[in-house]
Amino acid sequence: MAPLSNPDTLEDMKHFLPTAFLAAQALLCFDAQGEIDFVHEVVPILKQHCTECHGGEEAEGGFSVNTRELFLDDDSAEPGNAEKSYFIELILDKDPDYQMPPIKKKRMPKEQVETLKQWVNEGMNWEPGFTFGKPTYEPPLKPRMPEIPEITEGRSNPVDRFIDHYLRSNKLARPGPIDDLTFLRRAHLDLIGLLPTAKEAEAFANNKSPQKRTEKIDELLSREISYADHWLTFWNDLLRNDYAGTGFITKGRTQISGWLYDSLKTNQRFDTMVRELISPPTDESAGFINGIKWRGTVSVSQTLPVQFSQSISQSFLGINMKCASCHDSFIDRWKLTDAYGLAAIYAEEPLEIHRCDKPLGETAKAAWVFPEIGEIDPEAPKEVRLTQLADLMTHPENGRVARTIVNRLWAQLMGRGLVHPLDAMQTEPWHEDLLDFLGAAFQERGYDLKDTIRLITTSEAYQSRAEPQTSEASDKYTYRGPLAKRLTSEQFVDAIWQLNDAAPTSFDAPVIRGIADKNDVKKLQIPSRWIWKASSATPPAAGDEALLRKDFTINKRVIGAGLVASADNSFTLQVNRKVALSGSQWTELESASVMNLLRPGVNRILFLAKNGGDKPNAAGAFAMLRLVYDDGSDEIITTDETWQAATTIPKNFASPKWDFSALKWAGVTEMKVEVWPAAIDPLIGEALAIKSSAADLMVRASLLKSDFLMRSLGRPNRDQIVTSRPHEITTLEAIDLSNSETLAGYLDRGAKHFLKTASAPDFIDQLYLAALTRKPGDGERALLAEILTDTPDHETISDVLWAITMTPEFMLIR
Amino acid sequence: MNSPFDPDAPEPIVRRDFLKKLSAAGTAAWMSGEPQIVRGSEIRHPEAKADSCILLWLAGGMAAPETFDPKRYAPFEKGMAVDSVLSTFDSINTSVDGLKICEGMENIAQIMDRGTLIRSAVQPDLGSILHSRHQYHWHTGYVPPQTVAAPHLGSWMARVLGPKNPVIPAFINIGQRLEGVGEKEELKAFTTAGFFGSEYGPMNLPFPEEAAKSVRPPGSMTSERFTNRDKLYRKLVDQSPHRDYASDHQQESLLRSMDNAYRLLNSDERKAFDITEEPKEVQEKYDTSRFGRGCLLARRLVENGARFVEVTTEYVPFLHWDTHAEGHSTVARMHSEIDRPISQLILDLEERGLLDRTLVIVASEFSRDAIMEGKPGSEANDQATHKVDTITEAKHYGLHRHFTGGTSVAMFGGGVKKGNIYGKTADERPLVAVENPVTVTDLHATIMTAMGVSPKTEFVVEGRPFYVTEDGKGKPVMDIFA
Repeated sequence: MAPLSNPDTLEDMKHFLPTAFLAAQALLCFDAQGEIDFVHEVVPILKQHCTECHGGEEAEGGFSVNTRELFLDDDSAEPGNAEKSYFIELILDKDPDYQMPPIKKKRMPKEQVETLKQWVNEGMNWEPGFTFGKPTYEPPLKPRMPEIPEITEGRSNPVDRFIDHYLRSNKLARPGPIDDLTFLRRAHLDLIGLLPTAKEAEAFANNKSPQKRTEKIDELLSREISYADHWLTFWNDLLRNDYAGTGFITKGRTQISGWLYDSLKTNQRFDTMVRELISPPTDESAGFINGIKWRGTVSVSQTLPVQFSQSISQSFLGINMKCASCHDSFIDRWKLTDAYGLAAIYAEEPLEIHRCDKPLGETAKAAWVFPEIGEIDPEAPKEVRLTQLADLMTHPENGRVARTIVNRLWAQLMGRGLVHPLDAMQTEPWHEDLLDFLGAAFQERGYDLKDTIRLITTSEAYQSRAEPQTSEASDKYTYRGPLAKRLTSEQFVDAIWQLNDAAPTSFDAPVIRGIADKNDVKKLQIPSRWIWKASSATPPAAGDEALLRKDFTINKRVIGAGLVASADNSFTLQVNRKVALSGSQWTELESASVMNLLRPGVNRILFLAKNGGDKPNAAGAFAMLRLVYDDGSDEIITTDETWQAATTIPKNFASPKWDFSALKWAGVTEMKVEVWPAAIDPLIGEALAIKSSAADLMVRASLLKSDFLMRSLGRPNRDQIVTSRPHEITTLEAIDLSNSETLAGYLDRGAKHFLKTASAPDFIDQLYLAALTRKPGDGERALLAEILTDTPDHETISDVLWAITMTPEFMLIR
Repeated sequence: MNSPFDPDAPEPIVRRDFLKKLSAAGTAAWMSGEPQIVRGSEIRHPEAKADSCILLWLAGGMAAPETFDPKRYAPFEKGMAVDSVLSTFDSINTSVDGLKICEGMENIAQIMDRGTLIRSAVQPDLGSILHSRHQYHWHTGYVPPQTVAAPHLGSWMARVLGPKNPVIPAFINIGQRLEGVGEKEELKAFTTAGFFGSEYGPMNLPFPEEAAKSVRPPGSMTSERFTNRDKLYRKLVDQSPHRDYASDHQQESLLRSMDNAYRLLNSDERKAFDITEEPKEVQEKYDTSRFGRGCLLARRLVENGARFVEVTTEYVPFLHWDTHAEGHSTVARMHSEIDRPISQLILDLEERGLLDRTLVIVASEFSRDAIMEGKPGSEANDQATHKVDTITEAKHYGLHRHFTGGTSVAMFGGGVKKGNIYGKTADERPLVAVENPVTVTDLHATIMTAMGVSPKTEFVVEGRPFYVTEDGKGKPVMDIFA
């Protein structure tokens, strides 16, 4: 177990007894008025006179003061009553045979005895977790590949070999296996964050391949976008990235969303991610180390360099540097100088060390916390120092970073870390060999996140029955099987959207959700064509406006639709009277997926472009739409002579109210200005390929700013790094789930959606498959059949949907 | 007595084993992510003077010289010097001899004999004045940013004291929109239970007249349908093959929470959320604004066992008390929003015999001044939108700077002295607290002491103690208690 404190640290502590302080983390800098302060007043006395014989490994006469409980053992003290406390009696005893400290030692000064008496009378307050005992566990730094135990019963996945061995040696039963559909649901939610559809469930149940689970895991991991959408939540939490939040208002903070999403989409090596976060090659990944800059004066422990120290320590090393950024830590071995050493790597200017917000008159020297594998050159410029730190973090001999991340992945998948809590990696793991194995394998196999996820999820251990938890937090953890996980707020909202066909059509995250197919990019490098209304003067007047129109028909199922556009000088483009794109630079190509704006049958593009300048000048508008159909074919619609131009422009174009039929239509002219295609043509292929490739992927909650429902269900304000979400559903959340208008609206949409199919004989089966990934039992079927009758109304369906989604079975991943 | 030094005591080895087990257990418990109360049984909580607390929050910086601490009145005159303005309102007498407050607060003047007026509350200099930072500080007791999410004052009460009536959420927050307003992210950062987790978070009711909806089945759902839906839910849970997880802690807590929610949404107490249940003439007394209706709602909630209720005039940058221009006319309007509801709330609580056990606090994040930004010596940027030396138009007439050197906090009921004034500010600029300054930390200690919570109450989060008042240092102002 972790050291709570070692006596040397305490020796230092007492020196800053009288300091006042400001920040929350300055928690041990008490002022000494009123009650006796255990840490600053009692500990030094006990250390001076008692612990040599009654502390640490020593317990002479069977008496140890290591912890409060030991102190009180055998009635040697009575909290609240110094007079009746035996150890005080012994200290005051004049008899050389009995007195403490023993006769050869120095007597305890009277004021110290008074302090101890007052402390006893006040109830013997003890710093929680504090012990005079020595640390019993210090985690290794270097990677270690342990010997993998033998295979039993053909369970050859290394994870199983470790776990089987563990269960055997602890005489624990192996948890039972799970059936295919339970597996399917668990794997879907864990790997891509979505429920399997009823179709997917049926197909999987009917799949006869003996390898089908591993094949399913591989298939899910190969869905790059869905994988990125899901894991974005985990990484945003870990790197405190969001699309809105404290700090953005004053531009004291930047997002890393685009960089992060790309890294997940391409399964970027984790060591590369760490490197790019710590030593950012571009601004795209700089937001993490740059933290949140607050306007005005902040506590020293929240200045940017100290935030840097805390963030990199917590996220990558599982070290809580928050304590040590104010004073030497009590909970682990880190000291103020360690926290400031890291901070100084980032600092632009000489950084003065502050203890509890009081300057010490010392300048911090850039340094790294594990010098055994290398050092930072404190004299080097900041960029070099950051590169050096990135090197050390990703050093082959640095096993800590790997252990920290694989432990987080284990916790995501298995419900609890090999080391717990996740941000206290100094804690002894419950299975050190397995942690070391996962870490070493991760490093050997190229810091491949998906590879580790695959390794864990293909194990029998992952694919076994979730263990019921008997209490909130049991002190001693014994692995008996994976634990159930609560759906995160994003998973819950996604599942509700999925089930009820209720997802929004646009999202907030500034990420590119498609994947450009190289062949597509090449094929789609189509020259741009620019048009303007034929009736305009040549060149068109400044401020001249052209409202361009194109109707087209969709007869097949569209699975991808990408639109690009540009105009000299500005434009707004609507698809079916909804804004799809707008722009104001002819040198820039705007692009979007317009899947959600299309409908079967006739569709209409309205493209309003406006000329700029203050005298007549060239004006042109270009748009290109690519439709991809489910039969593999595609179609390009681009601005050309088949378009029409309106003879008048509606005043309130942006509003949905104006009367389209009032417009009259005339012809367009193709405009040829060399600089337009020169600027725009090189951009078309990739933009169009990406935007039309996104297939019909549902917009995901992880891509949206947090809203009331998501916040209620536990999505954190990402002002701080948050590495685990709440496990339980609270009463306030339950109230929201019971009467949220938002949720009711989603269920209402779902009910309308299901109304068409609800009278089908297998409706209940389909509903259960879609929501719970299993067929209903006889009792459930009978119950619902009675309620749903032959022609259920939309309210009844909505209530059935609510009741199913509120069950623990829906809310938990078992 | 079995002496610990007795040579016949049990084998030391046994002890060491015991010690190992013990420290292992202790470590695991306090290192786990969940915050845990410590010294819970040992800390000496003061005897509670109040069971409920209502915070009336005049968001945006209520100018003390325009409300509870009038200074020399300078009527509007074209061409008057800005620095000649201390107060733009004349003062009036109150029910307390010698105590004057500003014109426009005639009803509040009549209830000043029910409470204590602190005139010397002070705020720290945070460099640049940001309402949301000061509001964060006031509501959590900690200056942002913090390395852990600090809980709101209401969440502390919810966590330490729990709900007074189990059916009424312990922390109810009335009148503040958290979406669609400026600085909403900053507001959310402190309108939270922070590391306590959302169980102790606020129930947000931005529109008091719609509060009833929050505790009603959704939309147009009839109570019969609501009941049937719940029955169906229970039957499905019973039928589920997963019911054999009955002993599972997570499942149990989910079912319990759903049960609690159903009970509230189906309880008699939910009527407490419906201000239209009040007689028309009572509604009219409060009906000055959303704030006024919020006061009525707060009264109904406290009558039904709410623990902590905040009612705000709402913080929206540059609106309401946040006067960067047009200060005088804006404050005149704010007077009329708060005057009747606040006095009526006190009188109603008194009439119902609830005032003695309900602490009502009227406060704001800081005061205002006509020329001084921050406090003397502060380097805070002047953010006034109209910077003039002489006042030529009405829009210049008012207190348009943020002032942190001294402001007023009124407290009623909850064991505070009646007709009492504590502390004072200077009569001439700078209008700083010159007697008994009260910091936010000490104000928190005072509030928590009235509620029977020791200012030293602490929880461990991420291995570190976190106190209800900053680092456990808060000292209650005992002089204000009867």
